[in-house]
Amino acid sequence: MNKSVKIAIAGEGGQGVQSIADIIAEAGNEEGLEALYIPNFGIEQRGGVSVAYVQIAEKLIGSPKFEKGDVVVALSKRAVDRIIPYVGSNTIFVYDNSLIYIPEVSDEVVGLQSYETVAPEAQTNGFSLKEGEHNHYLIPHYADKVIGVPATDIAKKELHPRVFNIVILGAVIEAAGILSQESVKNAMENNLGSKFEKNPQLRQLNIDALQKGIQKIKEALVRS
Amino acid sequence: MEKPIQEEKRVFMTGNEVVAWGALAAQADIMYGYPITPQNEIMHYWTRLAPKYGKSFLQTEDELSAGFATIGGVLAGKRSFSATAGPGNTLFQEPISMAEMMRIPMVVAIQQRGGPSTATVIYSQQEVNMTTYGGNGEGLRIVYSTATHQELFDYTIKAFNNAWKYRFPAFILGDGYQAKMREPLIMYNPEEKGIEMVKPDVSLGKEGVPGKDRDPVYLRNAYSMEEELFEVLMPMIEEYNKVSPEIEEHFSLGCEDADLIIVSHGIVSRAAMAAEEELRKEGIKVGLFRPITLRPFPEGAIREICKSTPNILIVESANGQLARLVKEALFGLPINMQAIFKPGVGITSEEIIKFIKSKKTEEIIAK
Repeated sequence: MNKSVKIAIAGEGGQGVQSIADIIAEAGNEEGLEALYIPNFGIEQRGGVSVAYVQIAEKLIGSPKFEKGDVVVALSKRAVDRIIPYVGSNTIFVYDNSLIYIPEVSDEVVGLQSYETVAPEAQTNGFSLKEGEHNHYLIPHYADKVIGVPATDIAKKELHPRVFNIVILGAVIEAAGILSQESVKNAMENNLGSKFEKNPQLRQLNIDALQKGIQKIKEALVRS
Repeated sequence: MEKPIQEEKRVFMTGNEVVAWGALAAQADIMYGYPITPQNEIMHYWTRLAPKYGKSFLQTEDELSAGFATIGGVLAGKRSFSATAGPGNTLFQEPISMAEMMRIPMVVAIQQRGGPSTATVIYSQQEVNMTTYGGNGEGLRIVYSTATHQELFDYTIKAFNNAWKYRFPAFILGDGYQAKMREPLIMYNPEEKGIEMVKPDVSLGKEGVPGKDRDPVYLRNAYSMEEELFEVLMPMIEEYNKVSPEIEEHFSLGCEDADLIIVSHGIVSRAAMAAEEELRKEGIKVGLFRPITLRPFPEGAIREICKSTPNILIVESANGQLARLVKEALFGLPINMQAIFKPGVGITSEEIIKFIKSKKTEEIIAK
């Protein structure tokens, strides 16, 4: 059996979606594997949802984009809509549940509402939920696993808001299960090394963030 | 001055970066460019590399000018190149026609974007017609359609060499996906690998007094009589046809015992390759034919394969631009043709598999 993993990550511009993808792909390359990373680009990028596609495999990768991901990540309300088509029955779906509240509602309760029908509140350009706001975003019940990681809260309360995306990075690599922590740390060093040199505290902060992300997924996978 | 790549090394970069490094490895002297997405970074990376390695760069006022300036550089004896996409490629057709007429070896990298017109800045395979047969002429060109970053590097080097060897304009035909994605490849110095780089020669501004020390240089682009043009053009066309078999390249997989041949080029052929492998696992005998040169088209090779397997499925991110070349190559053979045409949109292996499975056997496999 060939090892391979397909990852799609969606979030708002500035959330660091592309940096996470870049670090994952670089770590794959570090391990001598085939790695392919492609951002969505184009005019929609200005003010739209930012999406990154990463694939890591033992042999030459096919098309740069794919239909269903093994790990699919949504980091904002509208990123959920954008990324849902990539969720299949083998997908581990990871979302930041400090930004997106996803009610566990069964199909019967919702009746005819389906994922193709966008709820009116979904069409407002909200970044996160207002307090008390109820949300009809439905995470497909057909996903293999749905895991909420409160990355924003963890970063804000325990670390620093800046390392929010590294918490997600940790979650993604643990869910993907194809890369060693060492190569991810090396890739982080390559990507962020210059920032670490200016502010050495940042290095430890990033490593802690990575660990927190990994830990969250480990716990969730044990529980399920 | 730093020397470009000496030893082989594995790198991980975007396709645009690869083209810039490939041009450097091919000992290009100067790039003339005008920005257009998704090829901008070829220019950006080249301007970063140029001062380190004693190379030059000129940004012109538009693509027409970039094309003609590239020709000027070649006439001055410099390995010159440019890069463009989409509507920029349209404007490039005029200087490219001139290069064809005057046998000027210009090299242009093209990263296809959606069309017609401005359309998208993202991706397509819709510049096949224009790159192979654009301009007012006969398509006397060399067009390499790449699929991987390794090929972007390899064929950038080859485009320079074959442009100067055969004196026809040469193209590296990539696309927005290849331009923007990152994947690993091995970079090398072609001379270390025994690839001898064809030396450019000076056409204009040679030493000595014309008519006294040497013959005058007479480059012609305009003819007053029909017969005059015909006399110049026919030997050119004959020469193109004669060298075509040396230039033609293709890749095929599993065609020997296949019931159905998927025909695709460029990045789509990677999806086709993955589909071929998956379907084989399920016992469906599928093969893959991929033209690497779209011009000259590997006609002999595809005819040979389709004589024994007449069932083909053409898959491309355009509305039949590759199909037109394939049909012309297969003219006269009894062919059963199916197609997936998705102009301006990427194609995955899953889609190809789904399409093949959705068909009844007799639809795709004629007896």
